[in-house]
Amino acid sequence: MANITPEEVIVTDFAVREHRSLWIDAWRRLISSNTARLGMFIVALFVLSAILAHYFWEYDPKVDLDYTLKLKPPTLVANEDVPSVHLFGTDKLGRDIFRRVVHGGWNSLRVGIVAVGISLTVGGLIGLFAGFYENINMTSLERIFLFGFTGLIMGILPAWAAAQPLQAVLMAGLGVAAAYFPNFHKDSINRLWIFAAAGGVVTAVPSLFAGSLVTLVCGVWGILTGALLSRPLEGKFFSNVMMRLMDIVLSFPGYLLAIAIVAFLGPGLEKGMIAIGIVSIPVYARLTRSAVLAVIQKEYILAAQAVGEKHGRIIFRHLTPNILSPIIVQTTMGLANAILSAAALGFLGLGAIPPEPEWGAMLGDSYRYLTSGAWWAVLFPGLAIMLSVLGFNLLGDGLRDALDPKLRT
Amino acid sequence: MSNYIIRRIISVLPTLIGVTFVIFMFQRLIPGDPAVAMLGEHATEESIERLREQFGLNRPLFLDREALADGDLAGFFDSQYVRYMKRLFSLDMGESIHRRIPVAETLAIRFPATIELALLSMFIAIIIGIPVGIISAAKRNSAIDSISMVGSLVGVSMPIFWLGLMEIMLFAVLMQWLPAGGRLGTGIEIKPITNLYLVDSLLMGNFQAFKDVFAHIIMPAIALATIPMGIIARMTRSSMLDVLQEDYVRTARAKGLGRGLVLFRHALKNASLPVVTIIGLQMGTLLAGAVLTETIFSWPGIGRWVYDGILGRDYPIVQGGTLVIALVFVGVNFFVDIMYALLDPRIRYD
Amino acid sequence: MNEKQTPLVEVRHLKKYFPITGGFLQRKVGEVKAVDDVSFQVFHGETLGLVGETGCGKTTVGRTMLRLYEPTDGKIIFDGTDLTSLGEEALRNNRKRMQMIFQDPYASLNPRMTVGSIVGAPLDVHTRMSGKEKYDRIQDLLDIVGLNPDFVNRYPHEFSGGQRQRIGIARALALEPDLIVCDEPISSLDVSIQAQVVNLLEELQKKIGLTYVFIAHDLSMVRHISNRIAVMYLGKIMELADRDEIYLNSLHPYTQALMSAVPIPDPDLALERHRIILDGDIPSPKNPPKGCNFNTRCPIAKERCFVEEPAYREVKENHWAACHFVE
Repeated sequence: MANITPEEVIVTDFAVREHRSLWIDAWRRLISSNTARLGMFIVALFVLSAILAHYFWEYDPKVDLDYTLKLKPPTLVANEDVPSVHLFGTDKLGRDIFRRVVHGGWNSLRVGIVAVGISLTVGGLIGLFAGFYENINMTSLERIFLFGFTGLIMGILPAWAAAQPLQAVLMAGLGVAAAYFPNFHKDSINRLWIFAAAGGVVTAVPSLFAGSLVTLVCGVWGILTGALLSRPLEGKFFSNVMMRLMDIVLSFPGYLLAIAIVAFLGPGLEKGMIAIGIVSIPVYARLTRSAVLAVIQKEYILAAQAVGEKHGRIIFRHLTPNILSPIIVQTTMGLANAILSAAALGFLGLGAIPPEPEWGAMLGDSYRYLTSGAWWAVLFPGLAIMLSVLGFNLLGDGLRDALDPKLRT
Repeated sequence: MSNYIIRRIISVLPTLIGVTFVIFMFQRLIPGDPAVAMLGEHATEESIERLREQFGLNRPLFLDREALADGDLAGFFDSQYVRYMKRLFSLDMGESIHRRIPVAETLAIRFPATIELALLSMFIAIIIGIPVGIISAAKRNSAIDSISMVGSLVGVSMPIFWLGLMEIMLFAVLMQWLPAGGRLGTGIEIKPITNLYLVDSLLMGNFQAFKDVFAHIIMPAIALATIPMGIIARMTRSSMLDVLQEDYVRTARAKGLGRGLVLFRHALKNASLPVVTIIGLQMGTLLAGAVLTETIFSWPGIGRWVYDGILGRDYPIVQGGTLVIALVFVGVNFFVDIMYALLDPRIRYD
Repeated sequence: MNEKQTPLVEVRHLKKYFPITGGFLQRKVGEVKAVDDVSFQVFHGETLGLVGETGCGKTTVGRTMLRLYEPTDGKIIFDGTDLTSLGEEALRNNRKRMQMIFQDPYASLNPRMTVGSIVGAPLDVHTRMSGKEKYDRIQDLLDIVGLNPDFVNRYPHEFSGGQRQRIGIARALALEPDLIVCDEPISSLDVSIQAQVVNLLEELQKKIGLTYVFIAHDLSMVRHISNRIAVMYLGKIMELADRDEIYLNSLHPYTQALMSAVPIPDPDLALERHRIILDGDIPSPKNPPKGCNFNTRCPIAKERCFVEEPAYREVKENHWAACHFVE
């Protein structure tokens, strides 16, 4: 056989291809798509006008009021009937609709960012860790944390029943102990009995003062929890529980949940943002988890473990950059949805409190006057909603095509 | 297969319990006391208490801690939640706190109204969305394709309530073709057989009534259908495109099968999977849109009714209404799961 | 190579079972016995070939050896240290000395990291080298494996399969390990490139003094590179012996069947050779057969084979086999 020394094997047959990363590739594809460009343009317009208006065009909604100008159609030039220019006409309180529409953009922008921010952060983290620990074994530190946390959560019931926090803390401690000594009677049924007994004692004893029935109920709960903590729970357990929870939330009609949350939190644009954000958490959780699962099977993750990289580094350097694509697309579409949902809430009177300019609320105010002919009060705010949502959707679409792995080598 | 169905049913149960729990929780946590709302702010403490007692509003929410301390096990479990669940099982949804009309009665009238609207909308969405998607996929990158896709994107971006208002503006105010709201014109009588007026009017053989019902329902239905239509069209297109690239389609064409045949027999069946899922998911969107549409078109359905109930703290209405809505939602998802298993044999061996 | 020296790695009764969960509560309903009581030694400087059909557990052995999978049972003694009993920190430290090369050149490199970062990752984790020192070392490594060091800032997708494998090898060499487990490193490459990569591995072994466990299913390539060969079937080792012994004097019926299938370049000799064709189905690792694992397909199976599992024993000097009819 030929005895090839390494020096002779230098490969020089590189196709002269420009050196660029995958991100730059994707960017080029994005730029070249007409629909994406249109979307970017609209989004830029939207964001810029919102920011500029907020910081440079003064508007105090509380003093904006002029009954003499009530429900005037759009005017391009001032005349005796209408002494000022109103590009979009005026609404039922005589306010200039154009001005309110432009300022409404700022509110919509804020809603989008906060709502998506909440969903992405919470949902993304849940999905990330669920997917990760399903496939990668937990370190003992992580396991201690998981068990302790589970113990804490389970300890809330007896703590409430006896009206004192001790049980929750003790349960957490029991969880930590269970994780710290995983080999203690590892395969025998004794482990179950021991921990169950410990759990029962830990919950029942501090409740003795509260009455025999309380003690009994707490004790039973403690025994069950102790038994649970004795099991060799792994990341899969955690992941299953989290995703089940997500499923339950997801099985709810989203809008009902949003309305319920807003009804609970009270009116106001900020509460609306939170409600919309919470409702979408499961969407991001599921998405992130499935993206993680697709990546985690790949051998470079295993290679990273073989090298000895710690979990934090694996998640940060290997996992996250490779799951960004679907998340970016979803975030963009999510922004579109958030704006739409905020408008819906505003329309129903939940969300922005009058006289705050918010497109949905503006529609909600004015739709009654449609049949008497005030079409401008309805057309323009709605058009604003539609265009901004369209912009994000176009952009999101373009992103999806640009980041699509099928187009990569 | 029946194994799969049973497993699906079992996994739905915790969801249902969770749903009842959340429904119960949230509207209880809304600040505001219905008794006060009913009697007015100047009512005496006594009468408020009595009213609260009457509606069981003075019991603790879930478990009575003091009763437990007293050793009263039955009292421990006698809470608002438990009473609610008990009544649920005997199908008693109570009466509206404000109007004293049995919830079930109102539901019987309002629920079909929403369902009729939702079904018609879904029908429209499918009838238009799927063919558009198929044609776009078949003629990829042509003018038709671009127009349809941009069109569906626009459709998806439109707020339902705005679209409805635009429709009213155009067809009711400007052209005066269609009525601006309501479900029935004055003077039209419908015999409530199914409470689905389109169906009932046909069953009655009364075409005048049918035309009237149709005129009233068509605008809200189209408004409601736009978003699902857009989504279905896009999903169908992308699903078909995926399938058309598969090797087995190429094989079919190589065998000499005509384009249409290949399209329908081989491609469609496999492409329909994601589309079915999407259709199921759209039910949620439809129900959401129902509230908005019902508001604009003064449509007497449950969407608006529940919403008013939430704001008025009318708990029985909220409970009954949201329960029904959530059940429909869960039911549709369950149905979609089954359909999925029917279409894709691989799922059954999950 | 066969004097009684202390082995670099000693695997004793290694087992790796994967649980199969099912049902609502994810209870364990069965196990896949991927590795079922495997024992062998690897000596300094040698190449131990590990062959077998797909699904016989060889990849699992390779990964479990490095404790990338947690063994269900058994011990792994690496240069005197029992890997199975080490804590996380200590294990991580030991990783410097044992590395792995993977099968799929496309999936074993992070597509979003530059080649330099990939090769330098072990240095980041285990050393405190300065940026300049790391850079120099990375350049050296790329040079050693035959890649142009200027390509440090390129991304994996800009390279061919063979080149990516070289990157993987460079990564494995970064910390100067004693042992490298090669998990089917050439199976995904073109035949012409395979030779290049194998030659590279041999060169490196001579120059640096590496020890290899070479997992593969291509028998002719394994013959070229290995000193000793172990043949696996359904989670157990059927035979382990010197390379020439395996090819010329194999004792286990399974090995003999495999050897009879290896292509012989000389057409006349090929005609003369007697092909042993196995029939029957491969049993599932969830449910291995009672008695000898091979009894469903073995041409010389007798009653005893269905009842009693043959012991894995040294039947000749340095020649181990698991069969009742071997002497």
